[in-house]
Amino acid sequence: MSTVYTMTRTSDLLPGTLDLLILRTLQKDALHGWAISERIQQISQDLLQINQGSLYPALHRLEHQGWIVADWKISELGRRAKYYHLTASGRRQLAVEAREWARMANAIGRVMKLA
Amino acid sequence: MRLNDLKLRARALLRPNRVEQELDEELAFHIAREARKVLDEGTTPAQARQRAQARFGSTALAADRCRDVRGTAVIDNTMRDVQYAFRTFAKAPLAAFTIVVTVAIGLGLVAALFTVLNTLIFRVDQVPNIGEMYAIERTPLVNGDGALLTRPMFAAMRADTHVFTDAYATVPELHLQVDGRRMAVTLVTGNFFQVVRVNPVMGRALMPPDDAPSGGSAVIVLSHKGWDRRFSRDPNVLGRTVLVNGAPFQIIGVTAAGFRGLEVGGPDAWAPLSQLGQFRPADRGREDAVGVEIVGRLRPGVSKNNARAQLAVWDSNQSADTRDRRATNIDLLPRRGTIPQPLEAIAMFGPLFVAFGLILMIGCANVANLLLARGVARQREIGIRLSLGASRQRILRQLMTESALLALAAAAGGYLISRLALQGAVYWAMRTIPVDLGDVNLNVPAADWRVAVFLVVAAVAATGFFALMPALHATAIEPLRTLRGEVVKNARPGRARNALIGVQVFASALLLICAAIFLRSAIAAARLDPGLRTADTVLIDINSEPKRAAMIQAVTNDPTITAYGAVRPQLLARLRAAFADTGAGKTPVTFKSVSGSYFDVLDIPIVRGRAFMPWERDRHPVAIVSESVARALWPDGRGVGETFRLEPDSGVQRFSGFLRINPDAPADDGLVPARMVTVVGVARDVPGLRITDVKEAGVFLPTGLDVAKTSIVARVQGDPNLARQALLDRLTKVDPNMGTIITMRTVARLETFFLEIAFWVSLMLGGLALLLTVSGLFSVLSYLVEQRTREIGVRMALGASAHAVTQLMLAQTTRPVIAGLIAGAGLAAALATVVLATPAGALISQIVHVTDPVAYLASLGVIVAACLLAAWIPAARAAKVDPMRTLRQE
Repeated sequence: MSTVYTMTRTSDLLPGTLDLLILRTLQKDALHGWAISERIQQISQDLLQINQGSLYPALHRLEHQGWIVADWKISELGRRAKYYHLTASGRRQLAVEAREWARMANAIGRVMKLA
Repeated sequence: MRLNDLKLRARALLRPNRVEQELDEELAFHIAREARKVLDEGTTPAQARQRAQARFGSTALAADRCRDVRGTAVIDNTMRDVQYAFRTFAKAPLAAFTIVVTVAIGLGLVAALFTVLNTLIFRVDQVPNIGEMYAIERTPLVNGDGALLTRPMFAAMRADTHVFTDAYATVPELHLQVDGRRMAVTLVTGNFFQVVRVNPVMGRALMPPDDAPSGGSAVIVLSHKGWDRRFSRDPNVLGRTVLVNGAPFQIIGVTAAGFRGLEVGGPDAWAPLSQLGQFRPADRGREDAVGVEIVGRLRPGVSKNNARAQLAVWDSNQSADTRDRRATNIDLLPRRGTIPQPLEAIAMFGPLFVAFGLILMIGCANVANLLLARGVARQREIGIRLSLGASRQRILRQLMTESALLALAAAAGGYLISRLALQGAVYWAMRTIPVDLGDVNLNVPAADWRVAVFLVVAAVAATGFFALMPALHATAIEPLRTLRGEVVKNARPGRARNALIGVQVFASALLLICAAIFLRSAIAAARLDPGLRTADTVLIDINSEPKRAAMIQAVTNDPTITAYGAVRPQLLARLRAAFADTGAGKTPVTFKSVSGSYFDVLDIPIVRGRAFMPWERDRHPVAIVSESVARALWPDGRGVGETFRLEPDSGVQRFSGFLRINPDAPADDGLVPARMVTVVGVARDVPGLRITDVKEAGVFLPTGLDVAKTSIVARVQGDPNLARQALLDRLTKVDPNMGTIITMRTVARLETFFLEIAFWVSLMLGGLALLLTVSGLFSVLSYLVEQRTREIGVRMALGASAHAVTQLMLAQTTRPVIAGLIAGAGLAAALATVVLATPAGALISQIVHVTDPVAYLASLGVIVAACLLAAWIPAARAAKVDPMRTLRQE
């Protein structure tokens, strides 16, 4: 797990990073699907656009893996929405994936600088 | 983590609507929220919705990918396949019905057989850890017949060895009159119920004090069977007394239903072994010499080999200090309350399974043919599905789902048919078994989980195997051409079809040849003259010597008895062996003692000399020999007036028939001293009866009814069965434990009885096989004619005659039918050769004429005729094809 980057889904992003971004976004608050994609877009200053068709399958997959849990709550629109939040194992997974990401980014950075 | 996954999957499975609705709601919310955002940027609500939807892309696709995450696709697809299959069945209900019924018939027959085998081999009744139960078998190394284990040996074994945690001795299944009703009673040592670890449901078990060697108590424990059959489940049966040979026995307990006490049939009651003399007066006073069976519970941790070795050591020490110095071999046999040697049962059931299995195979071949035909008919449907993008695998799975559903239906049908077949067989057997063979009571064996597993596995295997081939055929097509309605040449499954027809004909031939052989053998057996009068003769045993005088008086005064004689040993018992020494050498002979009237009663002519005089008894130095013995002993073969020395051998002749009647009759162990005898007469040779191994002796010595241990042979007036019943009633009053009366008519009937059963069973199977084959042939050929209508039309337009067309169609079936016939007859002949080569071959070939050419030819003729008839109708229809109409269609 530590050095092999398991890429499960293809998206416009680097493979596998979608899970990491979702987990990171949910680190503080419980959010619904639209808010997650909106948050990622805002923070990345519109650089990262989530393919909506990939977002929900990814959320459901993370839910199946037990890293996030969903609750139905009343949303800002006044209707029911599905809010996701991290579980304890999701937090551990986020730490692992963040560390891996940092290592990889660092490695790519060194190659770009020195090669 | 895994648990969470399972929980979500289970939820998706169990509440699919709720989960789907939630998914829709979640995606709908996303679009609504996006629309709100767009609306805030300043557009009309309609435009906002549109733009939001456009940004999201296909909701259906996203939803589908979410469903994939759930991992319930397999189940969803299966559900859809099942629905689809039911729609297909509804479209062609007759085809589905035919498949289910055909497979169910074959499956039902095999399952019925399996149910019986299951009962004989696997059934375990109420005895905990039955795997620990072993019987001791003791065989002398010399002649292989069982050597006696006696009660004193049992006591010594229990005291001296430690291989068993405990063991009991038993004399199983004595048949006797109790209170005037026949009961099977098993005598056991007092610890029997403790050893098997079974407690009665009512009352108490036998205890060791009940079986104390001196005294003990006169008590019996009823089995559930005995309680049901003899006491109509009387709840107040405890404490009642029954009379056994005039002595009262108290009923102290009733065991649970299903407990049979490690016997295949199971007795009506158990009684203490110390009461043996009361149950079998012939053994009174010599109880310690009576053979018992020893069954024990192997001590945990002692292996079977170890136990056998310990027992062998013990046994050799035993025989060193007794008279019996013959080397013996001790063996342990698993005792599970079933057939002791499962291998024997399997050897016996193997051929039956093959025969019944052939029916299943023929049925399956029919189904395969039907599916092949339908596969072609469904090519269009499958072609469309393939062109719409269904994978071959997906279509295969769909077809396999269909066959699995059919298999389950066939398994259910097979269960019903197996129950009906068993009920019918038991009913039929109860009606045909002669009454004087003993009190036979067959129960319909119960089906248990093993039968259910067997049915489902066999059904799935059968339909799976036979449905896979058509399924593969059906999908091996090119979508484009099938869409155009062309049948692809490769998919025309002619070869497979021919092979299936060949297999069916082969199986029918095999079964019908068997039927013909059994029929011809039965007819031949019925024509054989046994050389004994069997029409109106009966055998009467005298069980207790004190009652002998009274019994003889009752018999001689009986109005139905016209003639009687004495014989020892009894006619159905094994003959005693001896050597006849004429001074020129010793010749092995068999001998028995008879009274002078014996030859009259049984119509055995004295060809030379005279019969015994009424006053001649065992001490008179006279003998009568058979013609063949006379020829063997003296060159001129005349015999009368010659003398020889008869030296009895301690052994008895081995039983070489198929069925022993009355095996629990007391053994005749009386030895006759060697002596010189003068031949006074020569009796005609008696061919005897083969099934029951009734042979006439070579040397007869004189005796009379007043001599102990002789039995009565008598001639009766009127119907022997009625006379037997009347005699039984009258003689039971003289001796309540008189044993049984057997009519020779029944014994003679057995000569053909089993052949007739074999004939009817194989005829039924063969007929069923032929019927299935013929119907399969008919439908396949009809279908072929339909398929080739266009081709036939063209041929006829080009000038082919109707005759030529008929021939063309008939030629379709000729090859597989002939190949099947040759294979069937060849295998039958090969099996016959194998049977003849077995040790029992000589005996079997005497009774069953396994290579009877008439039987072969007759059955093959029947099959050819039936196949021709089945092929003729569609072939004739092909000749009626109107060329103009088919050409116009073109």
